[in-house]
Amino acid sequence: MSNKKYQSPHFTFLNKYFKENIIKILLLLAAAACIIIIFSILFFLVKETYPLPTDIWSFLSGEKWRPTSANPQFGVLPLVAGTLLVTLGAMLFAVPLSIGSAIFISEIASPRIRSFIKPIIELLAGIPSVVYGFFGLIILVDWIYKGYGVPTGETWLAGSIILGIMAIPTITSVAEDAINAVPRHYKEGSLAMGATKWQTIRKVVLPSALSGITAAIILGIGRAVGETMAVMMICGNSPVIPDPIWNVFSPIRTLTSNLGIEIGEVPFGSGHYHALFGVAVVLLIITLVINISAVYILGKIKEKQMALGKKKKKNWVSNETAYTIKKYTKHALIGFFLIFVYLVTGLLFTAIIVVAAIVLSFVFKKLSEKNIQKISFSIITISIIVVLCILALLLGYILFNGMGSMSWEFLTTSHSSLGRQGGIVTALLGTLYLALGAIAIALPIGVGAAIYLVEYTKEGKVTTIIRSAADLLNGTPSIVFGLFGFAFLVLFLGWGKVLIAGQITLAFMIIPTILRTSEEALKSVPQSIREGSLAVGATRWQTIRRVVLPPASPGIITGSILGIGRAAGETAPIMFIAVTFSAIEPSSFWEPVNALSYHILVLATEIPGQEAKTAAGGAALVLLLLVVGFYIVAILIRNYYSKKMKW
Amino acid sequence: MKNKMVKEEYIVKTKDLNLWYGTNHAIIDVNLNMKPNKVTALIGPSGCGKSTLIRCFNRMNDVIPECNVKGQVYYHDKDIYGPSVDAVEIRKKIGMVFQKPNPFPKSIYENIAYGPRVQGINNKKKLDELVEKSLRDAALWDEVKERLSDSAMSLSGGQQQRLCIARSLAIQPEIILMDEPCSALDPIATAKIEDLIGELKKDYTVIIVTHNMQQAARVSDYTAYMYLGKMIEFGKTTKIFENPKEELTENYITGRFG
Repeated sequence: MSNKKYQSPHFTFLNKYFKENIIKILLLLAAAACIIIIFSILFFLVKETYPLPTDIWSFLSGEKWRPTSANPQFGVLPLVAGTLLVTLGAMLFAVPLSIGSAIFISEIASPRIRSFIKPIIELLAGIPSVVYGFFGLIILVDWIYKGYGVPTGETWLAGSIILGIMAIPTITSVAEDAINAVPRHYKEGSLAMGATKWQTIRKVVLPSALSGITAAIILGIGRAVGETMAVMMICGNSPVIPDPIWNVFSPIRTLTSNLGIEIGEVPFGSGHYHALFGVAVVLLIITLVINISAVYILGKIKEKQMALGKKKKKNWVSNETAYTIKKYTKHALIGFFLIFVYLVTGLLFTAIIVVAAIVLSFVFKKLSEKNIQKISFSIITISIIVVLCILALLLGYILFNGMGSMSWEFLTTSHSSLGRQGGIVTALLGTLYLALGAIAIALPIGVGAAIYLVEYTKEGKVTTIIRSAADLLNGTPSIVFGLFGFAFLVLFLGWGKVLIAGQITLAFMIIPTILRTSEEALKSVPQSIREGSLAVGATRWQTIRRVVLPPASPGIITGSILGIGRAAGETAPIMFIAVTFSAIEPSSFWEPVNALSYHILVLATEIPGQEAKTAAGGAALVLLLLVVGFYIVAILIRNYYSKKMKW
Repeated sequence: MKNKMVKEEYIVKTKDLNLWYGTNHAIIDVNLNMKPNKVTALIGPSGCGKSTLIRCFNRMNDVIPECNVKGQVYYHDKDIYGPSVDAVEIRKKIGMVFQKPNPFPKSIYENIAYGPRVQGINNKKKLDELVEKSLRDAALWDEVKERLSDSAMSLSGGQQQRLCIARSLAIQPEIILMDEPCSALDPIATAKIEDLIGELKKDYTVIIVTHNMQQAARVSDYTAYMYLGKMIEFGKTTKIFENPKEELTENYITGRFG
């Protein structure tokens, strides 16, 4: 060995040490990104809210939103009411269907059926909201208009139905996780005592999964509250409180659609401009409260699972009291439900429900457990069938409606005559540029943060804070990202409407997805192979790069593809910061682009005539295929490797 | 019921019982006859199929996907794998205690009352009686009678296991299956369970899987030795331990392997 070589270890040691530290700092920065982003969003929204054109109280309690009249009024109450009502309506049918589906998937379906239905439900989550909106606008709105003889089908009811469909996959998959997490030995304990499967589900599985199911519902509510495009396209958008309040055929305007409609045309710095940011703050606060409670509940569950077997803390009420409270809550809930039904449908219908419930409970008491199980399982099976039918209807419609305009020419030429003629190539390219740019920015940050969380820190306060920030970011409505991009990139930095602004904003949106999937992937790599690598003298970073990342990469790739799919389908965050209805291909980052989702929105809502609807249908099909294609690839990769990789 | 049991020679019989997990042949041609009001122990090295076998007796393996059973298990001369047999009904008569105590996250009272409740007993007085009787039979009553409404999770491991035994008694079964009931317990708790098993056989038939040969020798009347899914030897416990016929059995019980 030469002299020179002999000295080198010392030299590389320093070098290594230095490099390791730099890497650690970079990873820490990536991990801090979520926190920085969420705080900058808060900061910019609040900053732009000031000065409000009215005092806070009349802003919050005002019943009129007339920002552009001669005597402008800025009251968010109708918008808040719109958001809450449309969400409530959505939950009324989404919750039973989703929980039924979740029970079916985790408890009743055979493994084969499960492996078939689960990805389908996940697909439902991947369909872009503008496609839901398009479907709602063409089919549902028309159906309500004709079926109920109302002046317009663009109503609260239409919005609730579409939002409900959109919330189903969220609620189903989180609830299914919760049900699946119930330890098998609880089930066995119950079955071993001669309980039927249904008794076991009802008395052991569901109670144990209750907090997880609650969190699922809250997340579903969060999703519905934050949705922009679909409600904006089908709710009629009048900022009025329905009169009477349960009139589901009233048009309605939500906080999100208010932002989507008005932010593009508002003069910068006007009272209206500040009021819109005030609306965004209200929206953000509502979603923050919703998401924090979901995160809190899910955290509690984890804590409980960890602490299982340890002695329980003394309850602040005795068990008897708790039992009584439980009993009365049940009664109170039934009471509220009946009052609600009474308000919405009148006395006769309520009476029918009460009588039916009493008769049913009598019938059920007479039935054998076996028959009760049969009936319950049928109801559950029906709920999953309904969900699958909705999906089939939606996909079928988009497919058959879009097939007509599909041609090579449609994909490769740009549009003319306001989109009624020609193709969608600028929109298609724009969507790809946006999605790929977003992933290029989000991937290093998301993966870096995940590596920092898994490899460089112990579980503790820091990880909790970063994870919570990621969760909050994940639950932040996409329109809020749009507003942040608008305030920060477009106005504050003075970039104007440009491609890069859209890419950055979308990147912020998909970082949580990538972070979470990468984290899971890294955690699934067993500790022993890290130790094996460290034991032969590899540094931490070398270990990560050579030993940990390769087996984790399928998971990371899956997350990235999901991120691309999500970015490609989004409309709300980019519509006023990066896209125009342009027929010219962009040549640099500093120009606006067209995007498929925006193309559909404009064609469906602003351009009159059947030709525009047909072209929108074609574009919707392309967008759907694109996004669903990404999802399918992601699911396939995940399934392939989850079978292949067993440690 | 009791009279009938006395008349019958065997309460559980298996005939050419085979079981597969997917392609893994876990139980091979097991023929076994068990007498009522006796304790039968299943022993053998890890992975020999003894837990799988005991789960055949109340069709608990139905829970596991890809599990295939061929052959017969007779309970009172009725094949529990027969086409018209409801596993739920079988489990009401054949209770089970698991390896790890698995109380439900409910109160002590509700844990015991669970079984009767799912069978439709809702009368508070009847339930109270059943809970007390079951807890007494499981030798747990004196320790928990003051705090029946506390969470079952607040009990110690040994208490939890006795609670699980009480829970299985509350449905008034004929047979109690125990799948290594002491493997997660300390020696004192184990001794209590072993005493309890001795008491239980007056009223019930007990089938117990155990890893611990001394335990089998202490508690059981009959012992079956299993190896690689096969029943190697079955007979009176005293005979198996003092004078085994098969060399494999002798090697195992003398600690030469296992």
